Amino acid sequence: MSRFFRRGGDSSDESSSDEEEELLSGDDSGNEIIPKPSKRAVSGGSDESPDSDDSDDSDDSDEREEEKPIKKVSRFLKTAGSDSEDSDDESVKHIVKSAKDKRMEEMATSGDMIDQKLRINDWAAINTEFDKLTRLVLRQTNLSEPLPPVYLRVLSTLDDAVSKEKEGKKKMDANKARALNTVKHKVKKTIKEYEVQMKEYSADPEAFTAQYAASTQPEVLPKSKKPKKDRGDGEDGEVDAFTTVGKGGKTYSLGAADLYKNLAAIQEARGKKSTDRNEAMKILEKLRQVASTPYSRIRVLLALISSRFDYNTSVSTHMPIDIWTSAQNELNELVSILIEAPQYAVVEDFQIEYDDNVERVPSPSEPIIKVRGSVISYVDRLDEEFTRSLQNIDPHGTEYVDRLKDEKSLYETICRAEVHFEQSDPSSLARVMMRRLEHIYSKPTVVVTILERSTSEALASVLPPTFPSLNNLGTTTALVRALCVHLYQTEFSLLRTRAMLCHVYHHALQNDFHTARDLFLMSHLSETIHNADVATQILFNRAVVQLGLCAFRSGLIKEAQSTLQDIFTTQRVKELLAQGIHQQRYTVLTPEQEKAERARQLPFHMHINTELLEAAFLVSSMLVEIPHLASIDTEELKRKAISKPFRRLLDFADRQVFTGPPESTRDHIMQASKALQDGEWEKCRDLIQSIKIWSLMPEEAAVKEMLAKRIQEEGLRTYLFTYSAYYASLSLSLLATTFSLSVRTVTAIVSKMIWNEELAASLDQAAGTIVFHRVEPTRVQQLAQTLADRVSQMVEQNTKALDQKLGGGGGGGSSWNDRAAGDTGGESQERKGRSDRPRGGQRGSGGARGARGARFAQGLGGRVGGSTAIQA
Amino acid sequence: MAQWDLTKKLVPFLDRHLIFPILLNPSLAELYKPEDVQLALYELAKTTDLVDYTITLFEKVFPDQPVPEEFATKRASTLSSINRLEQEAQAVLDVIENPDVAQALRQDKLQNLQYLKDTYGLTLDQITALYNFGQLQFSIGNYSLAADYLYHFRILSTATSLVLSSQWGKLASDLLVGNWDSALEELHGLQEAIDNGSATGPAGTSLAQLQSRTWLLHWSLFLYFRHPEGRTLLLDLFLSPAYLNTIQTSCPWILRYLAAAAIISRKSSAASASRTVRGALQQIVKIIQTEEYQYSDPITLFLKELYVDFDFEGAQKWLSEAEIVLDNDFFLSDFKEEFLENARFIVSEAYIRIHQKIDIADLSARLNMSQGEGEKWIVNLIRDTRMGADAKIDLEKNMVTTHRTHPPIYQSVIEKTRGLARRTQDLSIDMNRRANGEYEAAGRGGGGVGGGSGDKENKSKGAGTGGRGRREEAN
Repeated sequence: MSRFFRRGGDSSDESSSDEEEELLSGDDSGNEIIPKPSKRAVSGGSDESPDSDDSDDSDDSDEREEEKPIKKVSRFLKTAGSDSEDSDDESVKHIVKSAKDKRMEEMATSGDMIDQKLRINDWAAINTEFDKLTRLVLRQTNLSEPLPPVYLRVLSTLDDAVSKEKEGKKKMDANKARALNTVKHKVKKTIKEYEVQMKEYSADPEAFTAQYAASTQPEVLPKSKKPKKDRGDGEDGEVDAFTTVGKGGKTYSLGAADLYKNLAAIQEARGKKSTDRNEAMKILEKLRQVASTPYSRIRVLLALISSRFDYNTSVSTHMPIDIWTSAQNELNELVSILIEAPQYAVVEDFQIEYDDNVERVPSPSEPIIKVRGSVISYVDRLDEEFTRSLQNIDPHGTEYVDRLKDEKSLYETICRAEVHFEQSDPSSLARVMMRRLEHIYSKPTVVVTILERSTSEALASVLPPTFPSLNNLGTTTALVRALCVHLYQTEFSLLRTRAMLCHVYHHALQNDFHTARDLFLMSHLSETIHNADVATQILFNRAVVQLGLCAFRSGLIKEAQSTLQDIFTTQRVKELLAQGIHQQRYTVLTPEQEKAERARQLPFHMHINTELLEAAFLVSSMLVEIPHLASIDTEELKRKAISKPFRRLLDFADRQVFTGPPESTRDHIMQASKALQDGEWEKCRDLIQSIKIWSLMPEEAAVKEMLAKRIQEEGLRTYLFTYSAYYASLSLSLLATTFSLSVRTVTAIVSKMIWNEELAASLDQAAGTIVFHRVEPTRVQQLAQTLADRVSQMVEQNTKALDQKLGGGGGGGSSWNDRAAGDTGGESQERKGRSDRPRGGQRGSGGARGARGARFAQGLGGRVGGSTAIQA
Repeated sequence: MAQWDLTKKLVPFLDRHLIFPILLNPSLAELYKPEDVQLALYELAKTTDLVDYTITLFEKVFPDQPVPEEFATKRASTLSSINRLEQEAQAVLDVIENPDVAQALRQDKLQNLQYLKDTYGLTLDQITALYNFGQLQFSIGNYSLAADYLYHFRILSTATSLVLSSQWGKLASDLLVGNWDSALEELHGLQEAIDNGSATGPAGTSLAQLQSRTWLLHWSLFLYFRHPEGRTLLLDLFLSPAYLNTIQTSCPWILRYLAAAAIISRKSSAASASRTVRGALQQIVKIIQTEEYQYSDPITLFLKELYVDFDFEGAQKWLSEAEIVLDNDFFLSDFKEEFLENARFIVSEAYIRIHQKIDIADLSARLNMSQGEGEKWIVNLIRDTRMGADAKIDLEKNMVTTHRTHPPIYQSVIEKTRGLARRTQDLSIDMNRRANGEYEAAGRGGGGVGGGSGDKENKSKGAGTGGRGRREEAN
C-alpha cells in the first residue's frame, strides 16, 4: 500500500509541479523551445488521467508537501538566471529544464501506472496511460532529446504482455479486448518507430539508462556561460554534449591546470557504460589544441588515442577508417614528441606516484619524467585494427586496395616507434620489430622497397644512421636478417619462434631453398610447434608451404612433394593456412569458435594461392608417383602410395568413363598423368604447361621449362619401366629422339636405373643399345615365392596373436609391436595415422580442433625430419 | 688451382703449432706467392714463444730491417719462466719418478692425491706447475717433453678444465712429434670427453660441444693421414652421426677428406671391412649431394658425377682435376697414387656393372690411360676382383664382354624364410616363459629380441634426430 501511495504521490507531485512550471513559464514570452499548447494539453491529460482512487486521495496532501521545494528550486533558478548577464535567455533555459524534469517524472509515473494496470489486466486504463506517455515522449523527441529509458521499458513490457495476452483474449469482455487490440497496435507501431533504440535498450538496459542519465545530467551543471560558448558550433541536438565541451573550452584562458582536471574526468569516465565516446574524443581534440608543453601534449595524446581505440567496442567489426587514421596520426605525433624530448618517457608501470593534475617538467631531482601509458600497445592495437579492417573489407573491391595503401603509413608509424624504442625500451623494441618484420617478410622485394623508401623519406630527420633499413643494408634479405637476428636475442620465446618462421618464409620466398630448409630444421620447430598458439602454428604452416613452393620453383621436385605432402593429406589446406573456414561435415562450430576462426583469418593480400599450391603439389606428386607406379608390378606394392591425395585423384580419374577436355587445374594434371603413364610426354608437357595458374608463379617461364625437362626425364623412366618387359633391347639413340633428350642424358638416366637395380638391363656400348635381362620366373618359382610369402605372413600373424592374447602391457608385447612396425617399414605407422585422422575429425570438439593442428605439425615434423635423416 | 685450396679454411680450427707444417708444405708456395707464405709464417710465429725461429723468419721477411728489441726481451722472459717452472715441476717429477710411488698409485685420483700429499707433501699447486711447464715446453716447440709433462699432470690432476686442456696439448704434442699410437689414444680420450659433455666445461652448451668436435675433426686429420690404419678409423669417426652432423653444419670442407679416405680405403682395407667401406661410399655420396650447395671440390664432384649423374665423362674430367688438388693438399699428397688407383677402380667397377660390352679404348679413356695400359688394367681388374660378373676380353674386337648371372629366384625364397625358424622359436620360448609365470623375465627376454632386430632402425633414427640436434646447436 505504501508503495502504491508513494507512486500516486509522485504522479500528483509531477502534475502539480507541472502547473507550477506553467506559471513560471507564463511570463517568458521568449520560450521558443517548448510548444506550450501541447504541454498544457498533456498536463491536463495527466490530471484527468484515470488514477486509482486512493492515489487521487493522496493527491492533495502531497501537493502541499511538494509545493515548497519546487518553489524553492524555481526561485533559486530564477536568481541564478538573474545573476547572469543575459537573464532572458537564461531563465528560458531553466524553465526548459524544470519542464523537462517534470516530464520525466510524469513519464515515470505513467510507466509505473501501466505496470500496475498490467497486473490487473486493465487494458482500457493502459491504453489511455500509454497514449499519455507517448505524447510526452513525442514532445521529448521533438526537443531532440534522447528517448527516455522508462518509455522503452514500458514498451518492452507491454510488448511482452500483449503477446502473452493473445491466448487469454477470449475470456475478456468486449471493452477490454478492444482496448487490448488498440494497445497492441500502438505498441507495435511505436516499436517499429524506435526500433534502433529498442535494440540498444534490450541489449543492455542498464547501460542505456546510465547513458541517458549522463546525457541529461549536464543540464543541471551549466551555468551562465553555456549558450555563449558553444551554441555557435554545435547543432541543437548536441546541446547537452557541448555543455561539457564548453566547460573544457573554458580552459583556453585558464591554462594547464584545468586541462589536467578535464583529463582526469575523462579518464575516470573511460570504460564506464554511460560515457559518450564521441564526446570524450571531441573534448580531447580540443584539449590537444590547447596543450602546449610536451608533458601536457603527451598526456592528452595518450588519452586521445585510447579514446579512439575505445570507440569501437564490438569485436567483430573493425574500427572506422577515419578514426583509425586520426589515431595513427596522433600516435605518430606522440612518438615524435617522445623522440624529440627524450626527457619524457611513457612507461607501462612504475612505482612513483605523481599528481595527475600538475604540470611536470624535468628537474635535476627527476631528470626523466615518466608518464603512465604504453606506446607499444597502441602500436599493436593500430596494427591489429588494420588487419581487422582488411579482414572485414571485401578483398575484391577498390576499398580494399585503398585500405591497403594505408599500410605504407602504418609501416612508417611502426618504424617511427622502433626508432623511439631503440632509445628507450628494449623489450618493446622486440615487439615493434616483430610487427615490422611481419609487414615485410611475406612481401616481394618491390613492395618492401616502396615501403622502405617512403619510410626513410618520412623519417629522414629522426632515423639514426644505424637503423636497420633497406638503405643501410642493401637487400631485403639483409634487412629481414637484421631484424630476425635482433629478435633471436630476445628472451621472449614466442617472438623468437615467430621471427624464425618469418625468416624461413622469407628465404623460401627468395628461392633460397637450402638456407630456408637448414634454418627450418635447425630451429627444431617441427617438434615443438604443436605447443604453440594457433597464430604461430598458422605461421608455421605458411612457412612450410612456402618452403614447398620454393623447392618446386627450384626444381627440387621430391623435396617439394614431401614438404607439401602433409598439409595436403589433411585436406584442410585453407583452414591450416587461415585462408578460409573449413566446413565440417559432422560438427557445427559454435559461434565463439567461428568468431575466433574468423578473427584468425589472414587478410587477402597475404594469402598463398591455394590453387597454385595444389597445382605445384599435384605436379610434383605426378612426377614422383607415376614412375614409381610404373616400376612396381605386384598388387600389394601398388597400394603403397607415395602421395595419397594424388593417388586418390588418379584412381578417380581412372574410373571416369568419359573424360572431356580438361577444365580445372586438376583435370589438366590428371590427364597429363595419364599421358605420362602412356609414354606421351609431349602431351603431358603441353597439358601441364597450359595450366593457367602458373602465371601467378614468379619466374613462370623458367618453371615451365624446368617442368618440361622433368617430364621428359620422368617420361623416359616411366616408359622404360612400363615397356621394358616387351623388348629384348632398345637403342639409346631411339630413346633420345623419342624423348628429345641428348644421348648422354639418356645414358646417364639408364645407367642410374641399372645401378640402382631398378632395371634389369645393361648397356651395350658398341652397339649403343640397352640389353634387357628380364627373366620371367617359371610357374614353380612363382609358387615357391608365394609360399615363402605366406609362411612369413603366418609367423607375423602368430606374433600378433600372441601379442593380443597376452596384452600389449608387458615389455615383451611392446617389443613385438616394435618389430612388426620395423618389418613392414613405415607402412603400419602410416596406416595407424590414417585411421586416427577421421576419428579426430568426427569428435570435432574444441579439443580435437586444437589437437588437429598439433597432429599436423607433428606429422610434418616427422616427415621433414625423416627426409633429412635419409639425406644425412 | 688456389680455389680448391683449403688452407684458409682449415687454419682457424688448428693450433698454432699445428699450422706450421701446413704452411711449410712446399706446394703452398706454388699456389700463393712465396713471400705471402713467409709473411704468414712470420705472423704466426710471432704469436708463439718460438723466439729464435721468429727472428729467423723476421730476417727472411724483412731482410733490410734490424731485429726489433722486443724479441730479445721476450726471449729473456721466456727463458726465465722456463727456469722457474722447471724448478717447480722438478719437485713433482722427482716424486713421480720414484718407482715406489708409481706402484702405490691407484685408479682413484683423489686417493692418489691424498697419498702424495701425505707421503711426499705434494700440493695441488705443485701439480699445476707441471701443467704450466708442459704448456711452456709446448709453446717453445719442445713437444716431446711437453707430452711427458702433460701426461703426468693428467694422471694426477683433478681439475677438469685443466685436464681437458692438457689432453688437447698432449694430442698436439704427439701429433707434432709423430707419435701416432699415443696420439690415437689421446684422440679417443678426447672424443669420449666431448661426447660425455664434460669437455665443454661448466658452460657445456651444445654449441661448445659442436666447436670442440670441429676442432677434433681438424686435428684428427694429422693423425689419420699418417697412421697406417688411419683411413678406416677416419671413416669410423667421421661417419658417426654426431661428427657427420658437425661436418655438415660447421665445416663441410672436411667432406673432401672423408671422400678421399673412403676412396683410398676402398681396396687397401681388409676384405671383411670392404663391405662397410662400400656402404660408407654410398653414404658419403648422399651427403655430398645434400651439401653440394655449400661445398664442392673436384673430389666430391668426381663422386657425384660417378654415382649420382652417372656421367663418366664428367667424372673423368673431375678426376684429372682431383689429381692436381691432391698434389697440393698437405694431408692427401702422399696418397695421390693410391687415390688414383682406387678411383679408377671404382670407375671401372661402375662401368662394368652397367655395361654389357665395353670398348677397351673407351674405358681406358675414361680412366685417363692409354689403350695398352687400359688393357692391362682391365685384365688385372678381372683377375683380382669379384665383380659379380663374368667378364672376358675379346681382343679381336677390342671389347670386354660381361655376362651377368642373375641370382636364382630360389635364393630370394631362402632369404625370405631364413629368419622364420628363429622367430618362431623365440615365440615359443616367450610363450613358455609366460606360461611358467616368469612375466618379468619374459618381458626382458622379449625386449632383447625386439631390440636386436630393431637395432638398425634405431640407429638410423638416431642419426636423424642427431642431425637436427646438431643443426640447432650451430644455430
